[in-house]
Amino acid sequence: MSTKEELLKRLSEGVLEMEEDDVAEAAQEYIDAGYPALDAINQGLIDGMNQASELFEEEEYFVTDLLLCSDAMYAGINVLRPYLPEEKNDVKHKCVIGVVEGDTHDIGKNLVKIMLETAGFEMIDLGRDVPLQKFVDTAKEREAELICLSTLMTTTMPGMEEIIHLLEKEGLRDKVKVMIGGGPVSQNYADKIGADGYSTTAVEAVKLAKRLLAIA
Amino acid sequence: MARIEIVNDGTVRECAEGANLLAELLRAGAFVDNPCNGTGICGKCKVRIVDGEVSKVSATEQKLLSQEELTQGIRLACMTCVSGDIQVELLQKERKHKVLTEGYVPEFTRDEHDRGYGVAIDIGTTTVVTSLVELASGREITSASMINAQKHFGLDVLTRITYEYEHAEEGIEHLRCAIVDSVNDMLAQVCRDAGISTEEILEIDIAANCTMMHMLLGTDARSIGRSPYQPVFLEAQKRSAGEIGLHAGMDNSALVYCLPQVSAFIGADIVAGAYVCELEKQDGNVLFIDIGTNGEIVLSQKGRLLCCSCAAGPALEGMNISCGMRAAEGAIEDVKITERGVEFTCIDGKEPVGICGSGILAVLKELIRIGLVRKNGAFVKKENIPEEDYRYPMIRMNGKKREFLICEAPELVVTQGDIRQVQLAKGAILSGFLALLNKAGIRMEELDKVMIAGQFGAHLPAESLTGTGILPKEVENKIIYVGNSSKTGAYMTLLSEQVKEEMEGLAERMEYIELAETENYEKIFAESMRFV
Repeated sequence: MSTKEELLKRLSEGVLEMEEDDVAEAAQEYIDAGYPALDAINQGLIDGMNQASELFEEEEYFVTDLLLCSDAMYAGINVLRPYLPEEKNDVKHKCVIGVVEGDTHDIGKNLVKIMLETAGFEMIDLGRDVPLQKFVDTAKEREAELICLSTLMTTTMPGMEEIIHLLEKEGLRDKVKVMIGGGPVSQNYADKIGADGYSTTAVEAVKLAKRLLAIA
Repeated sequence: MARIEIVNDGTVRECAEGANLLAELLRAGAFVDNPCNGTGICGKCKVRIVDGEVSKVSATEQKLLSQEELTQGIRLACMTCVSGDIQVELLQKERKHKVLTEGYVPEFTRDEHDRGYGVAIDIGTTTVVTSLVELASGREITSASMINAQKHFGLDVLTRITYEYEHAEEGIEHLRCAIVDSVNDMLAQVCRDAGISTEEILEIDIAANCTMMHMLLGTDARSIGRSPYQPVFLEAQKRSAGEIGLHAGMDNSALVYCLPQVSAFIGADIVAGAYVCELEKQDGNVLFIDIGTNGEIVLSQKGRLLCCSCAAGPALEGMNISCGMRAAEGAIEDVKITERGVEFTCIDGKEPVGICGSGILAVLKELIRIGLVRKNGAFVKKENIPEEDYRYPMIRMNGKKREFLICEAPELVVTQGDIRQVQLAKGAILSGFLALLNKAGIRMEELDKVMIAGQFGAHLPAESLTGTGILPKEVENKIIYVGNSSKTGAYMTLLSEQVKEEMEGLAERMEYIELAETENYEKIFAESMRFV
């Protein structure tokens, strides 16, 4: 029998080492031993993901490594989910994310979503090739505080500016922050279209989101 | 009004105050490297302001230029506005590029002709190749090649489509004129070389990728650049030379035949390649790859053809690489690392200027071989190498980041970011390859042949391709280079009506697979990123 600490370590390391099967197995052992599921997520899986982010910032890990780490993390979460306590009323920050209309490249968007989710945001993922109005409507309906827009193509970049105009038209612009990212996007472009922020990587995106919403 | 003087050759251009320097320089016909078309991403359009007033250094330039460059007055032309009369120095010169014109031709029966000439053209995003053919004998009399003049509107297809988005009808016309002028120049050149008149040309056959074909005919290419990526036409096109602005034939009456296409991302160039390589007639399992900014892949499973296109990015062509350049004079094209140090060879034996695609692949292959780059693509930590090890001095610390020093003067390094760019290209190509194999239910070992087409692939030795894992080790001895099969396809349609018909049928039978919609693609891609 492994102790709780040993299992938490195995979960964390499993995520860091991208060992999807082992993480699922460790999570099952952890549950079978009767330990609380929430700790396994916070002190095990998310700890591993945070360490992966650090390695990413040191250029040790790359985008696709983070994707594989997150696969392992979700394998663990899937095992733990049924044992999680009912969500308390602690309000999470809501964020609408998607790839703008005309573009179907979504790997970058998926990674930003994962990193923000890991950091505790409630993510509303609209997917890819999303009609511009839908970002605005969803943000309004769900009272999101943040919209994250991504595109990999220069042809679809103007959609980001259009969304900012739509937000202004609906009188929502001061209620929601807009973050943009993607291969051809730059800080320069973010300034030009009046977005609140730009980040080059998914890890930076988390810091940016927290800064924009003034979350410690 | 402000006055721009280019000190290199004394050219003077007048412009409005506040005008963008890059735009003005390009209009003046100056050579400024401009891969990202002035969006402030690539940092390649460096110029030096010798004298005069320009806008303040932007945040983008602070990031992309070194302190030393800034003190010398070096700026990014795309981020600089002209505030008054200035003198500017161009820092790059146009270099000679190598262009592939040759290729394998299968046996086929030519139509009978008793006179006249024909022209076969391959319009690539980067280069254009033209051959003048005597119709009666099928003999290629002479050929010419040049860089696609549309490069002023961006180096890749998408940047040029974006130009159409930004400038609408006028943009479409600019792009059309650029390529039509280029083709006319080449027609005049090959006819001059052969001592004939352009009036003796009876037919021009053209293979190109889908975007280039649209732009040549002045057709709106914008829909190719956005999901659902639908071109205006896919079928073979017939025009008269005069209709599209080409000078060929009596009263410009020569027939222009544009080869058929499969999808926005599998153009006539790939259909031509599949035909030339006789993919439908193969008994075994054959893979055909054209490596470039987009890697197009066709898998023939006993004659059934599946194809896909993957966005490899420009890294393999030497772009988006910190010391990268296109394959031109002075580009490092091969690298060997031994205990004695780093040895490299440059194109045309010139002094090194930068690293081209084949060079960056060769470096990476060597770095993986000697264990300086690990399976996940990260450099080994310097502290994990013993100080007496020959590899120790090769890794240099730039702040917290590791880089590999190829050459000290001029200083040429490979950064971790550079390796990531190549890794992305490798991941894209290999994942496309694996997705097709999965779809067909074939294992790697069951592949009988891998055929590599195109300008860029021809410069990549099998050991670099498998050493970096772009292609798996298992296929190393099964690789065949087929050269410029796109132009060969145009040569064949030019000489045979039957080939035209067969190629049109082939284009309809090729099954296109959209990778992004393939199940589990993200996972295949992530796993394809590892160096094994």
